[in-house]
Order: sequence, then structure tokens, then C-alpha cells
Amino acid sequence: MRPALAFATMLAACGNAPTAAPAPIHFLHTFAPAETELVNKAIADRGLAVEASLVPFARGQQVIREILRAHHACPDLIRIDATWLPGLVADDLLAPLPPALATLDWSPEAAQLATYRDQLWGAPQTVDGLVVVRDAGTPSPASPAIADLVAAAKAQTAAFAHPLGLRVDAYWLVPWLRAEGAELAPDRIAGGGAARGLADFAALFGQLAAAPPPLGSEAPDELRRWTEHELAYWVTGPWQLGNLAGRDAIAVSALAHAPRGGQLLVVPRCAERPDDGWRLAAELTSIDVELIFSDAFAAVPTRRAALAHATPLALAIGAALANAEMLPRSPITPLLFDDLNPALAAVVAGDATADEAIDGVRRGWARLSGSAP
Amino acid sequence: MTGPTLRWRVLVVLSLAAVLPTVVVGSLAISRARHDVEDEVKRGALAHIRALGQALDGTLQDARRTVELAAGQWADAPGDNRGTQLLLRRLRRDVPIVQSLSIVDPNGALLFGDPVPGVDVGSHSFGGYIGDAMFSGPRPTVHLVVQARGRTGELMGVVVASLDLGFVREILMSARLGPGARLLVVDGSGVPVATSDLLPTSPTSLAGKDPAVDRALASTVEGTLSANGTVSAYRNLSSYQSLRGVRWAILHQQPEAEAYALARTTTRDTLVIGAVALALALALGAFFATRLTRPLAALAHRADAIAAGQIVDAPPVRGPGEIGTLAHSVDEMAKRIAERAELSAALARGDRLASVGVMSAQVAHEINNPLTTVLGYAKLLLEDKPDGHPDRAALELIAEEAERMKKIIGGLLEYARAPRPSEPMLGSAAGTAMPAMVVRHVGELVAPQLRRARARLVTDVTATAPIAIEAHALQQVLVNLVQNAAQAGCTAITVTAAPAPGGVATIIKVADDGPGIAAADRTRVFDPFYTTKAPGTGTGLGLAVCKHLVATAGGSIDVGDNPNGRGAEFRVVIPNAA
Repeated sequence: MRPALAFATMLAACGNAPTAAPAPIHFLHTFAPAETELVNKAIADRGLAVEASLVPFARGQQVIREILRAHHACPDLIRIDATWLPGLVADDLLAPLPPALATLDWSPEAAQLATYRDQLWGAPQTVDGLVVVRDAGTPSPASPAIADLVAAAKAQTAAFAHPLGLRVDAYWLVPWLRAEGAELAPDRIAGGGAARGLADFAALFGQLAAAPPPLGSEAPDELRRWTEHELAYWVTGPWQLGNLAGRDAIAVSALAHAPRGGQLLVVPRCAERPDDGWRLAAELTSIDVELIFSDAFAAVPTRRAALAHATPLALAIGAALANAEMLPRSPITPLLFDDLNPALAAVVAGDATADEAIDGVRRGWARLSGSAP
Repeated sequence: MTGPTLRWRVLVVLSLAAVLPTVVVGSLAISRARHDVEDEVKRGALAHIRALGQALDGTLQDARRTVELAAGQWADAPGDNRGTQLLLRRLRRDVPIVQSLSIVDPNGALLFGDPVPGVDVGSHSFGGYIGDAMFSGPRPTVHLVVQARGRTGELMGVVVASLDLGFVREILMSARLGPGARLLVVDGSGVPVATSDLLPTSPTSLAGKDPAVDRALASTVEGTLSANGTVSAYRNLSSYQSLRGVRWAILHQQPEAEAYALARTTTRDTLVIGAVALALALALGAFFATRLTRPLAALAHRADAIAAGQIVDAPPVRGPGEIGTLAHSVDEMAKRIAERAELSAALARGDRLASVGVMSAQVAHEINNPLTTVLGYAKLLLEDKPDGHPDRAALELIAEEAERMKKIIGGLLEYARAPRPSEPMLGSAAGTAMPAMVVRHVGELVAPQLRRARARLVTDVTATAPIAIEAHALQQVLVNLVQNAAQAGCTAITVTAAPAPGGVATIIKVADDGPGIAAADRTRVFDPFYTTKAPGTGTGLGLAVCKHLVATAGGSIDVGDNPNGRGAEFRVVIPNAA
């Protein structure tokens, strides 16, 4: 090639080169601090231009709904709790998962998380739920049944100050409600079963389970009790096990009727660049990122290929959650906790009986479901 | 050329040795100082906003807890209108930041207090929360939503308090900030809630405009960011346990030029100190280079002179260490070369003299016979001429001069004659001599001459061992030396013979009180035909013959000053006979 021609070609190539950096992908998320660091690193490693914004989990559903309804500063990708999905879909705020992502090798539990009204609405990012954690040297409960868990804990009262690790939180109450035939749904809270479940659960505190710590300090309090060997059987989720020392020495078993949930990556209909949003979702659910999360936080991967290489702890959690039951897929499910949590706290504190509390919950849920008079 | 080149090279090496460490150490110091200052600035800013965040959190949480307590109290008796009014009044009074208060039923219908437009406060409100800032009035406000639940936990209503966020700005304004620094609190949309500077708070979002705001809203905890010439420290207020739900962030921003002023000053000082140190190092380097290379240059000069065959009579080069050793070696080398040159010259001269000697001997031999004839006829003619004859004076002069010529020729023949064994004499074995006997015999031989010269001969012989020289030769040597002394006008002549230290030789000294021999002549007096006597009084062969005889015996002869006073002393060393 003659020099002049080469120079002209080079100039032409320079002229065709993009001069502006790509616009960043707007990502709204609810990650915890440690997870955020990992996500930021994964994004940086992939050279993606992402403008991330945190939404505190406690107000996530409300804030996200306000943002999506306002159509202002609409994000391209959002990380949501799976229980928020029905409400957002019902309000027609989300775009369905594109076929390219829908046909990935999602595990059945992960696919179930993202499915609503027979449609996949997001890329499952992680699966979680309640399991029973114990030291590998502590005997396993005879079965996943609550009665066997309680019996096993009673057998450990001599060795452990408070052998059963529970939290005064309606999410932990769900297995006890379900064991009595009740459910986290306005139409399944009637009858005596819910009150019995609530009473049985509340009765454990102060005896087998430690008295509740101040509001907001539950997670560190549990972690401290586990570290100091006060707990024999700890009912918790993978979110508490990532930072646990000696993770290889713990055993995980299932809890009957335990709730199963997870996190989803969804793209709102108002997204300016939905394709970029789904591209980021694909990156964050890629095999290597899932394995990084699995290793760091004991997160249960959502892709079968990642599950094949997950840590033993993550695999054990995944196995224990295989028979867990998702919370009812209703738009009002997350709001039900607003009533159930104060009712549970009132019973544990002795301010109300289980029957009184369940009556109040029933009235509140009826109002939420629109069936109140 | 060698000197300047070497000096410049040494100067360059010393300069590099000074420049490189200075540059490296200086760069490290500057980098470290900058890094430390940046760390300190960021740490300080983070500590600052942590404290301010806690103050904000404390104020908000005080309000929240108070309202929660009130809400709980109201929920236990929601029908008590009078009690409710009293409660609301107390809340407004006891919580100064409360701007307005409302109580709505679970469906959002207003029960008590001020109207609450545009806030989702019904049973779908997902619990209590502190919302985003609102800018409907002169000062930003925020809604605090608290669910009022009764004893059993049942939702009885919702208390909504509008909080005046002026306190945020007051807290920010009370902070002591560095030059150019400002504090900023933004809500979850990036809208400034308050700033520490005097700029009016506007509801314009900074999201997407200020990278630090974007980073703060994306972060879960805290961090720092340098962008657009501003260093920012941020903390997301959701990281405060008691502020769960709040999406706000607090930022400390300061122009880098102001924030890192200390680093700049340190850099400047380090550069100045480094430059001064460098200049000093270079000056010292130049000084030492010159000092180091000066003796080398002198040595090079001297080596050039030696190579050119010049006699170097400059003072020796001095220098430290290896340079001193080198200078010493060069001097030694020069001395050896001079000695070798002198030796070569002596050898050349010796060859020449030997040739002259041989030729002189041949000439002397040829002249001797006709000279004998001349002398004989001169004497015969003298016998024929009576006293007073006019020819007699001329004939006597012919005879005297012929006689003198014969003496010269005899000397020449003696010098040129090869060493030959002689008959033992004076009780000595062949090839040896007894010093005492030879000295005594010499005294007898020269006695008449000494009497004429009015000179006195003193002998002192302590050596008893026979020495390895023909007695005749030794006698000739000593006679020559004593006669020379007498002819030089000496009045006291001493001949001593003593064993040399170690007993392997005998030293015979002939000392006199004459005029002595000048130092410049001492090496030449033993050369043939060299004489210090008046013309016509010496042949210049006597001492040459003496040296020849002594050297032939394996000994040595030299001359110096008489150690006992004026005059000269000849020192003859002859090995003892085996």
C-alpha cells in the first residue's frame, strides 16, 4: 500500500472512531454494603458504564413504584425482592424477560421466582429462604418438621443457653403458621390455626430462643450468639452465612413449610435503554459472577451451570430450600408483613394474646385486600 | 586533553551520583507526602461527615421516636378527641422541627391536624418512613410517616409529621470547614436538601451532573472521589442503622487546590531543598573532581615527559591512597629508567673507552720504541755538550719531555694490560695480599716523596686476614692514592685497613687533609684521562688504573669527603681471600 493511501485510510479509520463514551446504564439496586462492593467490582471488571443508585431495602418497593410511576429518571435495570414482582407486574410497570435470557439454564426454583401469570419477568439473581443451620457436630433434627426441630433444641438446653435461633419477624413466623394450616394471605388467616401458630412461635422466646434484642439489631445479635456458641439450631437464611467464620464446619438442613424467596433483576417499561438493562442483567447472572457471589455470600446460584460449581455450603442451602414454599404471589404480600410484624411483637412482648393479635391482623389484611366492609 | 577529559568524566559521574539519588529520593518524598496528605484530607473529610451524619440522624431519630411514642399513645385511645388535640400540641411544642402534624385513618382519611397533600400514608404505605425532601415552601421539608398501632399491633391510623429541614443547614453551617470546602446533603433524587455555603437551596437535582453525588447515591456506605478538580467525601445516610429507609447522602467537597495545599507546599519545599542539595552536591562534586584528578593530571604530565625522555626534576606528586601509590610507582619507574639510561650511557662510554684504550695501547707501543731512541740520542748529545753549551738547555728539555712521554705511555700500557698473575711478594700467597705488609711497604716507597712534600703518613691496620688481590696491584693502588694526596698539597695522609662488617672483606681507606674532590667530579675521577691536576702535571690515568685493578680483584673503590675534617677519603673494599 502506498504511504499516501495508508495515511488516508488511517484518517478515515480515525474519523469513523466513536468520539463519545457510551451513556451509562442506570441501575437501581438494593444490595447490602458488601454485596455492593462486589457488584461494583464485577461491573468495573467488565468495563461497563453503569450509574448505580441504592434504594434501601426497607422502602424499596414503595420508592421503586413511585419512580416507575413518575416516569422520571427511570432506571434501565432494577434489583428487586421476588415478593415485589406481582405488585409491579400488576401495575404494568415491568417488561417481560426477553427470550434470549428466558431460555437460559435457570434452576426450577429460580425460574419460579421470576414467573408470574405464566410469564418470566426478570433474571433471577439469587435464591434464598429459611433453613436450619447447626454445627456439623450437633445432631440433626429427626426431620424437617417444626416439632422435631423444637425437640432437638430442647435436648440441647444443657449445652446451649438458647439452643434455638429465631427472630421476632413475621418471615420466621410463616412456617409456624403454615404448620397450622394458615398462610400469609388474607383469605387463609381465619380460624384458630393462625393463632395457635403465632402462640407456639411466640412461646419459644425467652425459653428455647433468646428474648428479642432491640429493634434493628437482630442480625448482629444472632451472629454474636452463633459465634459464642449460644445457638444449637439457627433458623436463618444465606444472607447471614456469607461472613460466617468456619463455614465449612456447619451443616444445613431443611425446615418444613419454610418460605423461599430471592432477588430478581428486572427492566421497567419506562427504561430508556432496556437492551442495555438486560445486558447488565445477563452479566450479573453470568456463571462467574454467580460463583463469586456464591463463594462470598453463600448465595444459591440461579443457573444450573453455576450450581454445578457452587460451594458445598451454597449447594446444601439450595438443597434445603428445594422443598421450601414461596410466599403467595400476590401484590399485597409484602404489605401483609406491616400488620403481622407488630402483631407478633405484641404477642412476644405479652401485650396481646395470639387471638387478639390475629384478629387485628385479619382486619388489617381485609382492608388491604379490599374485602373490608 | 587527558586532564580535562578525565576531570569532566569524574564530574559527570559524581553529578550522576548526586542527581539520581536526589531525584529518586525527592520524587519518593513528594509522592509520599502527596499520598499522605490526600489520605489525611479524605480521612478528615470522612470523619467530618460521619459526625455530621450522626448529628442529622440523631435529630431525625429523636423526632421519629417521639412521634412513634405519640402515635402509639394515640392508637391505644383513638377516640379521645380532646386527648388527641393535646397530644398534637405537645408534639409541636416538644419537637421544634415539626412543622405540621396530621393523623389519618388506615385508608388515608384525615382525622386530626393539618391536611397532608400528595403523600402516600394509607395502609399501602409500607410501614413508617422518612421520605424525600420537598421544596414547596421557603425551606425544604420532609414527611415523617409513622404507623399508629394499638396494643395488639393493629393499625389504627398513621401520623404524618412535616419536618422543617432548616436544621440540616444549621448543622452544616456550624461546621468548621477548610478553605473552599462545602458540605452538601442531597436526598435520594440528588436534590440538595441543604448546603453549608450561602447558595440558595434549589430543587434542581445534581444527579448526573455531579459525579460525587452519583457515587454517593450508588454507595451503601462511604467513600471518596476526585473529579473535575474537586475532592469529595461522601456517606450514604442509609448506612446509619436508625436512618433505614432514608435515601439521603451527605458530601464534603473541596477544590483539590485548597484541599491539597499542604501537599503543594511540601512539594515546593522539597523541590527547593532538593535543588539546593543538588547544587551543593554538584559544587562539591566539581571540587572533588578537580582535587581528585589534579594529581592524576600531574602524573600524566610526568609520564608524558618520561616517555619523551626528558629529565623530570619536578617535586614528587602527592595524592591519597591509590593515587599516592601510583605516583610513587611512577617516580620509581622514572628513577629506574634514568638509572638504566645512565647505565646504557656508561656502557656505551665504556665500550668507547675500551676501543680508545686498545688503540692507545697500540699507539703507545709503536711510539715507545722511537721515543726510546729519541731519549737515548738526547742523552748522548747531552753528554757531548759541556755545561754552558747553548744547545744544552734544548737537549735537556727534549730529554725531560721524552721522559714524560714515556711515563704516559707506560701508564697507558699498564691500564691496557690484561690482568696477570704475579710472583708472590711480601709474604703473601699468589693472588692474595696481607694488608699490613702492603701498607708498610707502601709507606717505605713513598717516604722520600712525602718528605719532599713535607707531608706525614699515618697508618693504622687492624685487618689481619689476607685479601683477594695481587699484592703488587694493591701496592700500586695505594702508592697512587698517597702520591695523589701528596701532589695535592696535603700535609696529613692516613691509611687505615680494617675488616668490613661481617668479616667478608677488608676496607682500606686513604684520607687526606687536602682540598678534597668536588661532588660533581667524584664519579668522573676514575675515568681515564680525567684529571683535576694542572695541565702537564698528570696523565689522568692513575685513578683509572686503580679502579681497574680493584675491580679486577672483585672489589670497589669510591671517594667522598674526609669524615674527620677537610679533605677527601678514598675507600677501597677488597674481598677477603677464601
